[in-house]
Amino acid sequence: MNQMSSVPQHPPPAPQPPALPAAVAFSGNRGEFRRLVTRGAGLELVTFGFYRFWLATDMRRHLWANTHIDGDAAEYTGRGRELLIGFLFALAILVPIYLAYFILGVEIERLKAFASVPLFLFFYLFGQFAIYRARRYRLTRTVWRGVRFWMTGSGWAYAGRAALWGLLMMFTLGLILPWREAALERYKMRHSYYGDLQGSFEGSGWEFFKRGWWLWPLAPIAFYVLPLAPFVYGAFKAVEWRWWLSGIRFGGVRLESTMRRSALIGLYWKYVGWIFLLGAVFIAYLALSAVVVASIDGMSLAQFSKPQVFLKSIPLLALAGLGYLALVLGINVVMRIYLLRDLWVRVLASTTVYNVQAAANVSALGDLANALGEGFADGLDVAGF
Amino acid sequence: MTSGSENPLAPPEGRAPAFYFDGTSSRRHLVTLAFNDRLELHEDGRTLAAWSFADIRRADSPAGTLRVTCLTAPALARLEIRDTAAAAELASRCRQLDENAPGRAGVAKIVGWSLAATLSIVAVVWIGVPLAADRLTPLLPQTFERRLGDVAEQQVKILFGGKVCESASGQAAFSKLVDAVRESAGLDTSIQSHVLATPVPNAFALPGGKVYVFSGLLTKADNADEVAGVLAHEFGHLRHRDNMRNLIYNGGTSFLIGLLFGDITGSGALIFASRSLVTASYTREAEQNADTFAIDVMHRLGRPTKPMGELIFRVTGKQGDKTLSILSSHPLTEDRLKRMSEEDRPPSGPPLLTKAEWASLKAICN
Repeated sequence: MNQMSSVPQHPPPAPQPPALPAAVAFSGNRGEFRRLVTRGAGLELVTFGFYRFWLATDMRRHLWANTHIDGDAAEYTGRGRELLIGFLFALAILVPIYLAYFILGVEIERLKAFASVPLFLFFYLFGQFAIYRARRYRLTRTVWRGVRFWMTGSGWAYAGRAALWGLLMMFTLGLILPWREAALERYKMRHSYYGDLQGSFEGSGWEFFKRGWWLWPLAPIAFYVLPLAPFVYGAFKAVEWRWWLSGIRFGGVRLESTMRRSALIGLYWKYVGWIFLLGAVFIAYLALSAVVVASIDGMSLAQFSKPQVFLKSIPLLALAGLGYLALVLGINVVMRIYLLRDLWVRVLASTTVYNVQAAANVSALGDLANALGEGFADGLDVAGF
Repeated sequence: MTSGSENPLAPPEGRAPAFYFDGTSSRRHLVTLAFNDRLELHEDGRTLAAWSFADIRRADSPAGTLRVTCLTAPALARLEIRDTAAAAELASRCRQLDENAPGRAGVAKIVGWSLAATLSIVAVVWIGVPLAADRLTPLLPQTFERRLGDVAEQQVKILFGGKVCESASGQAAFSKLVDAVRESAGLDTSIQSHVLATPVPNAFALPGGKVYVFSGLLTKADNADEVAGVLAHEFGHLRHRDNMRNLIYNGGTSFLIGLLFGDITGSGALIFASRSLVTASYTREAEQNADTFAIDVMHRLGRPTKPMGELIFRVTGKQGDKTLSILSSHPLTEDRLKRMSEEDRPPSGPPLLTKAEWASLKAICN
């Protein structure tokens, strides 16, 4: 970083080195994050899922606070309570929409059976709106050097663009994805600010296409040959991250990512490995419970292993239910550790910020956005994290 | 990376160095701290800010850094102290440092409120939604119900081929049977019944008053009383407007249970399981009521009730071995047969159809 520029009363130093790269680093302790998500998963269970708002907040606080850009750590100032309120407001709005959707659906179906299927489009649009507004919430809770990021633009304008590009995606079987992402990122970044520094996006669809086109024919193959999937998806995500990060600008500040195509494949394999391991443990647990329940009922295993017998055993079903809950929570923990925290770390490690001096004296600007978007995203199940 | 320690502008001895961001610009101020009656932040002899210790609060920071803000300063003003001694010194002076820290005693509160919310949702699902379904159903206009019925009818016709059977003699026999049962059930002529050509042995009532009997059921039936019982059962659903009640009930419970579990990965199965459990008990009750209705109708007609039970038994077989009764949407077939056998009375009224009429009904699709 440029130490000099932050101490202006010092006599102006000799010529500044141009566009000095600034480091991006992560200082979080992995064990601490693991404890955070494990405890969070337990609390999600006890609270029937309501703890999700606070868990999401705590994960973001951990990740943000340990992310250092040019020596200064960021901060996440959102709170779980805001997410809860956003969710409740979103519900209040979604209930009448669901009802209207239902009645409209009935009227259309009367004209022609199954004609109401395109009404799903509306929910697609709504989901995109939610994604935009949720990003806006998260951005306005992101603070670096005492100045917050913020966002303008219209969620509906974004949703309209996303839907039109989505239509093109259907016609081109996904080949147009790079251009779709470039256009949507341009819209998002153009409306993003750090203080009075306006963002922009310089990645082009063509560049993305050049780097990742070979994945396009592989995707349908990976769909059938499952062991290929982590390779293809991992490579795709790495190409996407690199292209996305390298396109981000805030005023004169420029990001650059050097992520290799293979950088994320290991993470996805570890995740898959854990799923198999947890699945195996779950099956072993089921078998053990069956043996225990059978011996308590005084039945031989052969008698007990008939579906009409064990499917009627309430103690066994209860044990299976408990085991399933544990499995789900375990998978959530593993997912958050590998695909959230570890991924975050790898992405940061590949990133360099150039010309960070341009952000050395930015004036604070912009208002906080509410969490309604996050609420919609939760209610419509389109939430990122 | 960077930092304070290599800084050529090391602070004067004895005064703690720190970084200060004033919350109005991103400029990084290298300040020295002075612990007087208030915390003073000095930069080159100027006092940039003076914070009273009681107003200082902790903000999130990476390990090894104490980051604080002040209630009276701009909301995003931050002071970062990386020197452990100075951080300890400040922490010891600020009694309320962690007062706003989220998630401390808060967790117990969240758990408590979540349990309360869950209990209330469960209460609403068990008591509120059935009550609402019962109360709202009579308020919904028949025209709306008929519209729903039209929609369902179109879908049924697509799913099951849509060939309505209407051989002249078969249709005459069917109308005679339907009219007898309908009058006894106290329903008006707006009720329409049709036989649909499909091998699936089933019959159902659509909202707004349409009853469909599948030819597969007629194939399995041995006499007119069996079919009459099934018709009476479906008329029972119409009479109770069970379709509308189910619609409101299913919509309400799905929504509430979905709300409860939210978007935890893997919660789909939980939602599905708890929903099936809850709605199964509700529809079982509706089926039981429709059976009661059918039994009454058959009594009024002076016809036996047992044949209906036997027809159902012939279609489904013994269920107790295969299904767990709490997950089943209908009462178990053997229990229904038992009930109808108990309610059975020797015929006191005339047969509903003559032998010839029954034969043409069986052949309605040919």
